Amino acid sequence: MRNIKAIAFKEFIHILRDRRTLMLIVIMPIMQLMIYGYGINTDVKHLSTYVYDQDRTYLSRRLVDAFTQSQYFTVKVNANSIRQCYTALDKGMAKAVLVIPPNFAGDLLKKKGAQLQMIIDGTDNTPASVALNSSQAIVNAFMQDEHLIPVQVLPIDFRPRLWYNPDLKSTYFMLPGLVGLVLQFLVPMITASAIVREKERGNIEQLLVTPIKPYELILGKILPYIAIGVIIAASIITVMHVLFAVPIHGSVVTLFVMTLIFLIVCLGIGLWASTVADNQQQASQIVMFFAMPSILLSGFIFPREAMPLWVHHIGYFIPMTYFLIIVRGIILKGLGFFDLIGQVWPLLLMAVLVLVFSIRRFSKRMT
Amino acid sequence: MPDIAISADKLTRKFGKFTAVDEISFAIPYGAIFGFLGANGAGKSTTIRMLCGILAPTSGGGQVGGFDVETQPEQIKTVIGYVSQRFSLYSDLNVVENLNFYGRIYGLEGAALLGRIKEVLELTGLDPFQRRLAGDLSGGMKQKLAVANAILHRPKIIFLDEPTAGLDPLSRRAIWELLYQLAEGGTSLFVTTHYMEEAERCNNIAFISQGKILKIGRPSDLKEALQGQILEVTCRPLMKASHFFSSLEGVAGVTVYGTTLNLNVTDRQAVEERVRAAADKEGIEIAVIKSIPASLEDVFSDLSQGIKRGNFNPPAAEQERGNRA
Repeated sequence: MRNIKAIAFKEFIHILRDRRTLMLIVIMPIMQLMIYGYGINTDVKHLSTYVYDQDRTYLSRRLVDAFTQSQYFTVKVNANSIRQCYTALDKGMAKAVLVIPPNFAGDLLKKKGAQLQMIIDGTDNTPASVALNSSQAIVNAFMQDEHLIPVQVLPIDFRPRLWYNPDLKSTYFMLPGLVGLVLQFLVPMITASAIVREKERGNIEQLLVTPIKPYELILGKILPYIAIGVIIAASIITVMHVLFAVPIHGSVVTLFVMTLIFLIVCLGIGLWASTVADNQQQASQIVMFFAMPSILLSGFIFPREAMPLWVHHIGYFIPMTYFLIIVRGIILKGLGFFDLIGQVWPLLLMAVLVLVFSIRRFSKRMT
Repeated sequence: MPDIAISADKLTRKFGKFTAVDEISFAIPYGAIFGFLGANGAGKSTTIRMLCGILAPTSGGGQVGGFDVETQPEQIKTVIGYVSQRFSLYSDLNVVENLNFYGRIYGLEGAALLGRIKEVLELTGLDPFQRRLAGDLSGGMKQKLAVANAILHRPKIIFLDEPTAGLDPLSRRAIWELLYQLAEGGTSLFVTTHYMEEAERCNNIAFISQGKILKIGRPSDLKEALQGQILEVTCRPLMKASHFFSSLEGVAGVTVYGTTLNLNVTDRQAVEERVRAAADKEGIEIAVIKSIPASLEDVFSDLSQGIKRGNFNPPAAEQERGNRA
């Protein structure tokens, strides 16, 4: 115990003196929060729209208002010709074009059936599909509001509702997951390089002839990074809650325990990388090699449901896959420990396996 | 406490088919400085690693501080100090932080630790540099810190792997003065070195080559054994002479010293005649031939040339003889 404390204390001095690691620890979470909180916003809103209103009636103006009020579309230009609209689409100045033909209102009032055209820039599939769906909804609502269709009793009264993230804010989705992302990158990286550094600089040679035991050395070296990991996770969650107003529906204690388990997996990966690598550069390359697929295949950004089946299955071997379901479940859905048991046990299993494997490897390498 | 600090009995270590250390035996009493000499790769570090309890011997055994190297490596670690060849303390920790850390690892705490740190700082003269980062110390001071660190827990046995390699003469002397002080206090020191004048300072020395101890004894005894066997020849041109004399019968080895050659010979009288004859024939000018007392360097070159002859004939020498026959 005394030895573990001595090593942990010395490790903290290393961390405080090593500008590079310190910068990484402080800057990376902040940078990621900025990127995913402010930068990457998949909420499609205020699509720049050109309107070519050839009708210019009360009704046509009401329709354009309906589009604007939805917030999905922002009318940038009232065009004078269809050509102008096409050019705007080509140049990317317009993402959508609304074409209202002459006699739009007249046809509607005569119940002749009016035509309305919307052209959407389909280059980027996400905003395009949002535009497509919302334009449909806007027009339907418009017809109801203006009493253009008779009020009727539908055979199915279909009322879809969005739970957990009713406004479909991407920060709700991204920021809880960010805890996983940052830990997955940072913790193995700093742990591995801290251990490899002793090997690289020959410090291990001196430690070997002391009465210290391998497990004491490992624990002493790991503890400071557990502390750092917890602090990082807590800061991200605090910023997420305070600055980005993401509500935390579940128990903070459960969240803490789960984060700790995930942290142990990350430490284990770092420890393992340190037994494979001969220098710090190799260690960080190995960590990157594992972190990259974790981000892409765990469902952090891209939904795993959309992946081909075999890629989907690979996701089951990635610790972050389980952790993401757990953090999002706790934060957004207010799930408790027992609701998440299906994710908790694989994560626990991984933690135990990785740690046992890497500690055994480490002890072997020490002698 | 037994009188013997370190002993090896047919200590052997093999790596696959390669035998790094081959049945070496010795005994070192407390308070003695034992010099372990040998070329790089001769098996010095492997021997130290086995004696420090971090490498298990393949066969044979040894005792360090009364503990068995094979069965009690952990106990050995508590009673020894170790100064590695390469500076291996933390360069981003300052002098006191390094000592603090290792002191705690060795079980020192609180006032006892602080007091001991103060002692070793005074002993090594590192007092004024307490807060300096180890990485910013000069080479000599780094080694002093390494020694200070090795003696923190008052070990009675210290292993030093080339503690003075790459240091300037003044720093080397300072380190050796430190070692003498420790030996006087009853500590046993196991030192590997390349420097012959450092070997002279040891109570006992052993020459190791290809894993075997070739010779072991007190420096004076080893030199004594070569008494009357060293011929100093002052001659010109030196390298040509060295070349021809080395192939003469009865010459075990030739070492060049500035403007003279030292010949290790078996029969002084006969060789002197042969040398003069060869010089006449090859046009080598001889100024003086005299017999001189042997130095450790002579002992070392006698041994290493002995190995060459014993184990294989250098192709060049072989050809030489063929040409002349």
